[in-house]
Amino acid sequence: MSTTALPAATGRPWRARLRFDASPVQVAAALLVLAFLLAFLVVPVGRVFLAAFTDGEGRLTLVHFGDFFRTSLFRESFLNSLYVAGMSVAVASVLAVPLAVIVSRFRFPGAALVSTLGVLPLVMPPFVGAVAMQLVFGRNGSLNLLLMDWFGVRLELMDGLNGVVFVQALHYFPFILMNLSASLSNIDTAMEEAGQNLGARGFTLMRTIVLPLALPGYLAGASLVFVKVFDDLATPLLLNVTNMLAPQAYLRVTSVGLGDPMGYVIGVILVVVSILAMGGAALLLRGRDYSMQQRGGGGLGRREMSAGQRALAWAFVVPTLLLVLAPHIGIALLSLATVWSFSPLPDGYTLAHFSTVLRETPQFLTNTLLYCGLAGLIDVVLGVTIAWLVLRTRLPGRRVLDMLAMAALAVPGLVLGIGILRSYFGVQLPDGTALATSWIMLTIVYAVRRLPYALRAATAALQQVHRSLEEAAENMGAGKVTTLTHIVIPLMAGGLAAAFVTSFATAAVELSATLVLATRDVDAPLSYGIYVFMQSPAGRGAGAALGVIAVLTVAVCTFAANRLAERERRRRTRQQGTAP
Amino acid sequence: MQRLLMTRRGALGMAAGAAAAVSSAPARAQAALEPRLVIITSFSRDVTTPFVQAFEQRHPGTKVEVQNRSTTAAVAFVRETRSSPPDLFWASAPDAFEVMKQGNLLARPQIDTAGIPATIGAQPTHDAEGRYFGFAVSGYGMMYNTRYLRANRLPVPKEWADLKNPAYQGHVGISSPSRSGTTHLTIETILQGEGWEPGWAQLLEIAGNFAQVSDRSFGVPDAVNSGQYGIGIVIDFFGFSAKASGFPVEFVYPTVTTLVPANIAMIEGSKSPNAARAFIQFLLSPAGQEVLLDPKVMRLPVRPETYAKAPAGFPNPFRDQSLGARVKFDNGVSEARYELLNSLFDRLITFRLRELTEAWKAVHAAEAALARSNSAQGRELLAQARARLTRVPVTEAQAADPAIAGAFQPARPDRPAGPRQAQLEEEWDRAAVAAYAEARQLAERAQRAS
Amino acid sequence: MSEPAGVAIEHVSFGYGATRVLDGVSLEIRKGEFFAFLGPSGSGKTTLLRLVAGFGTPDSGRILIGGRDATRQPPWARNVGLVFQNYALWPHMTVAENVAFGLQRRRVPRAERDRRVRAALDLVGLAHLMDRRPAQLSGGQQQRVAIARTLAIEPEVLLLDEPLSNLDAGLRAGVRAELVELQRRLGLTTILVTHDQEEANAAADRMAVLNDGKVLQVGRPAELYDRPASRFVAGFLGTANLIEGRVDGGAFQAGGARLPLPPGAASGPAVLALRPQALRLLREGDATLPARVLRAEFLGGHVRYILEAGEALTLVAEEPHLRGLDPLPPGAPVGVAIDASQATLLRA
Repeated sequence: MSTTALPAATGRPWRARLRFDASPVQVAAALLVLAFLLAFLVVPVGRVFLAAFTDGEGRLTLVHFGDFFRTSLFRESFLNSLYVAGMSVAVASVLAVPLAVIVSRFRFPGAALVSTLGVLPLVMPPFVGAVAMQLVFGRNGSLNLLLMDWFGVRLELMDGLNGVVFVQALHYFPFILMNLSASLSNIDTAMEEAGQNLGARGFTLMRTIVLPLALPGYLAGASLVFVKVFDDLATPLLLNVTNMLAPQAYLRVTSVGLGDPMGYVIGVILVVVSILAMGGAALLLRGRDYSMQQRGGGGLGRREMSAGQRALAWAFVVPTLLLVLAPHIGIALLSLATVWSFSPLPDGYTLAHFSTVLRETPQFLTNTLLYCGLAGLIDVVLGVTIAWLVLRTRLPGRRVLDMLAMAALAVPGLVLGIGILRSYFGVQLPDGTALATSWIMLTIVYAVRRLPYALRAATAALQQVHRSLEEAAENMGAGKVTTLTHIVIPLMAGGLAAAFVTSFATAAVELSATLVLATRDVDAPLSYGIYVFMQSPAGRGAGAALGVIAVLTVAVCTFAANRLAERERRRRTRQQGTAP
Repeated sequence: MQRLLMTRRGALGMAAGAAAAVSSAPARAQAALEPRLVIITSFSRDVTTPFVQAFEQRHPGTKVEVQNRSTTAAVAFVRETRSSPPDLFWASAPDAFEVMKQGNLLARPQIDTAGIPATIGAQPTHDAEGRYFGFAVSGYGMMYNTRYLRANRLPVPKEWADLKNPAYQGHVGISSPSRSGTTHLTIETILQGEGWEPGWAQLLEIAGNFAQVSDRSFGVPDAVNSGQYGIGIVIDFFGFSAKASGFPVEFVYPTVTTLVPANIAMIEGSKSPNAARAFIQFLLSPAGQEVLLDPKVMRLPVRPETYAKAPAGFPNPFRDQSLGARVKFDNGVSEARYELLNSLFDRLITFRLRELTEAWKAVHAAEAALARSNSAQGRELLAQARARLTRVPVTEAQAADPAIAGAFQPARPDRPAGPRQAQLEEEWDRAAVAAYAEARQLAERAQRAS
Repeated sequence: MSEPAGVAIEHVSFGYGATRVLDGVSLEIRKGEFFAFLGPSGSGKTTLLRLVAGFGTPDSGRILIGGRDATRQPPWARNVGLVFQNYALWPHMTVAENVAFGLQRRRVPRAERDRRVRAALDLVGLAHLMDRRPAQLSGGQQQRVAIARTLAIEPEVLLLDEPLSNLDAGLRAGVRAELVELQRRLGLTTILVTHDQEEANAAADRMAVLNDGKVLQVGRPAELYDRPASRFVAGFLGTANLIEGRVDGGAFQAGGARLPLPPGAASGPAVLALRPQALRLLREGDATLPARVLRAEFLGGHVRYILEAGEALTLVAEEPHLRGLDPLPPGAPVGVAIDASQATLLRA
């Protein structure tokens, strides 16, 4: 008919489609990243799986899993872990959901307080928190001693599994709070108004419009909490709860030895449950992530509170704040206490514990700064490289790198630690120490464990850099490398700094992998130091002092990361204000 | 297997070489200390730091690295690192040293032990073959928080049997022998002192009062110090050092205790044999012995003359002959059932603590009720309940039988744990759960009958 | 030919995945010429421009810049200057740093570099804003910085990707004139990509109309307007009556009406293209083609009439508006006179 319509069937020739679109530099970068991930994530985890699925002669077998499920202790540990993780999500939700609703639906004068509430628990490593909470909420902790004195009652908050639930829920509820309030405040006012316009209000509005739109945020937070609690080793260990999966695996590996298949079976189960929980949440959320579709609008309409509502809100926020602060106060008191024994408060106060740890073992702090700093750097470099390969090149298979790196999320520190031990125990460094237990490996393990965070941050930062900015540089005569160093990295700097600090701060309090890998005082990090110092018949003051140092380090880093992210966001909005 | 033999032969060869070098030039050995000495130990930093500092002061060229592990984990670690092991193994439990000696993991350094008595209490101080050396002695007993006992109006315990008192329900703590070498020794001492079956009966009854079975030996002094519970079954120096640090705690030795040397040994294949030897020698010297009296250490020295410098009230086994004399500790027996005992304790007590304490609670309640009434049927039911709660599913002969105990040798990379262990563990677990449930029902019926 | 073309595109095809974006495109842009790629979005014009800049390699075909084969040259080696649609100024650098960037890459000595940065900014009249950051400039200023940045490297070819689309409508005509003036002054081979025919008409010496990855027609703007080679070109460049019908016995039969024909038309089905201004409205007298007003649109300078002639023939006609001449009401009968010399006959 006319020359205009090109038949749709005229596709691109196959040869052109299959052309290998990658430069040698890209291939080399991808191979280096791949080698790193293979060596320190895939192989160790693979060895764990292999050990769980093979018998003594290397034949494939399911017999170890049979043994696992035939052993009532393991069955019970499995159920206990599920119970603790599930209950932690429930208790954390009880704390987080009201707070999220208060701050994102209402004009609440204490909103700043609530956002502080959302960060405070995260700067306290859960195993340090566990010790402190034992002192405050334990069967003869400050709270119960006072209750016994005044009312003759005792709250068994810290006993057994429920103690673990209590500690974990208090530590991890911010994940739900942050995700839920983010998705609640992303709901466009217009959506709610449209609902009202069509006759829905009050509870109906909440049920039909607000909750379904907020569900993705809640599920994202809840699945994260579930997985973290399910995989956690240090908290149950410090609370003397051993009939859970992670402690059982740790006990098997450290007392029976690396040859014991049960440690590996448990490792496999931890990984599988983590993947199921995260995959399940992702599946539930598929097609339900509405955040991209909601444009403009100033968030959910915040309304004034009535006096009664405000009183109710305060009545919830203040006790929650006290609850959240209790471990911080507890650990601070312990670090300053001379003797604290069977009394609500210590007998006296001293700075001796701080001087002890700073004089005798400054290396814990410097090691942490070194390892976690290096790990953060590795993460930023790997994160930028992977993000760049994925977003900016047409390298075949580049998505595999992204998936591999993100898979580290589903690998508990304990499992990675065991896998590293098994894979690299025989490898010796020139000075004769085993690679698996050297500080280098510890640094690498931290880097692998925190890589997903850094990768997400790098991807987000790179997505913010418009492609044309790079092309403009190339057009001006800059090669790929110059473009990367002069344009891309300076523009990503804020996001990358935040990624570095996040990696650093979370690695600083990683204990699961540390416990398995660190063996020597001289090159052990802070988290290990806390654990070791806590083991003294002469009191836990020194351990608590190290704990306070760790909390302060993490707090400063978190604050810095937030500031950087905030500044970056402001810079961006300013830019968008004037430039298209 | 092939590989294992090879390394073993290699290690032996090296040890022989090292021994030859020492005997030919003892004077030079002192001068040529290696720059790095790696110690693996179950002792806390409080104990190791004063020794390490004193040693480094004397030998500035040598840097000491301390690796902290629980005794059982340390044994596993040394076994795993046979190719490049730590230099010294330093821990309390002599049975762990015995296990390592049998595994050919200990070297035989030449150490001068002049001035140290060959036996303390009923125990030889050093290994007869010269593979490990006692540098301090420890007894086992009960540590209690005085404020806690006063506040809860509890009597001070003197003997293990006192801990059976129902008044202590939920006030006693212990660590698991599978996780703590010192607790293992305590349990073994009770079993050897009282006999296998009476010993277990006593343990299971005391366990009815347990608040907690910690998986770290330090969990116990911590909990007693902070008053989480009142009484802990611990090694003596936990109590002494906590008291010396100002905590309101005391420590008592029951008559059924044993004075066991805390030991040090050089590990076969050590890369720094001279420094290792020098460290052992320093530990046994008068200067090293005095470090034991540091308030954070507080352990009984093996040199009688050191006691002259001890604070008042410090026990002296060389003067107080009753201390630890009642039990003649048999290392051979202990070693044969080492792993079995750990596993058995965990199945019967650690992992089933809730069921066990509930059952005992029911028994104690029924006893209280029966004390008022006088029901023959009730007493009969109660006797049955007690019988179920105090029965150990393994006989002493079985526990010593290599066919059974042998199944509990720790697994190795080249020899995975046998299915026999899992099977036995599962049997015990099932037996324990059934017995505790039955006992609880019986006790409840007894209470109703009263 | 003694002098090589500024840019020669020879049989270039290109695609992403399974879709073909460019299909055998050949074009020759003369040295010093202002050339435009005109087409609707999705026509492949921006892709073609990006291939000239080196962002992508053709699946087949060649691209020659100043006579040398640049097909496989990376972007940074081509020495062509591209002004991006969103300007792509680097927000972390000042205006001067943005402009100096390309010179630094070329290792131009410092003094020379400073001189050329200033010269380039002078050219666009922004030398006084050298130390500002892009975020502190208005949209028009940003665009001029982008142009200065490109000119500073003295490119062989200047590529402009929809340079006016992000500007306010009021600014466009002025900036366009400045651009053209600048190009004439520098004698720079320039390619402009646009979907706006007015922009192309006003700026370009010659232009190519693209659609669905193919070049439909190349020529001077007036040439293309007057003699479109296809229905698409006719329809895309300005308003046109595209009447389907038959050439039959020296006249064009469509919708029951008879229309005059340019000479030399062969019989058979055809499309007659007529610009609205080729239709003259006769309020009285003998009508060549009687029609009826359906609707009138008052556009200021002229009035557009939608007419119905014959049985089912809709025509658009335009007539200049003068004071005192009221637009005809709907339903008014009119006569339409058609100037056969203005008509173009296209194949059906």
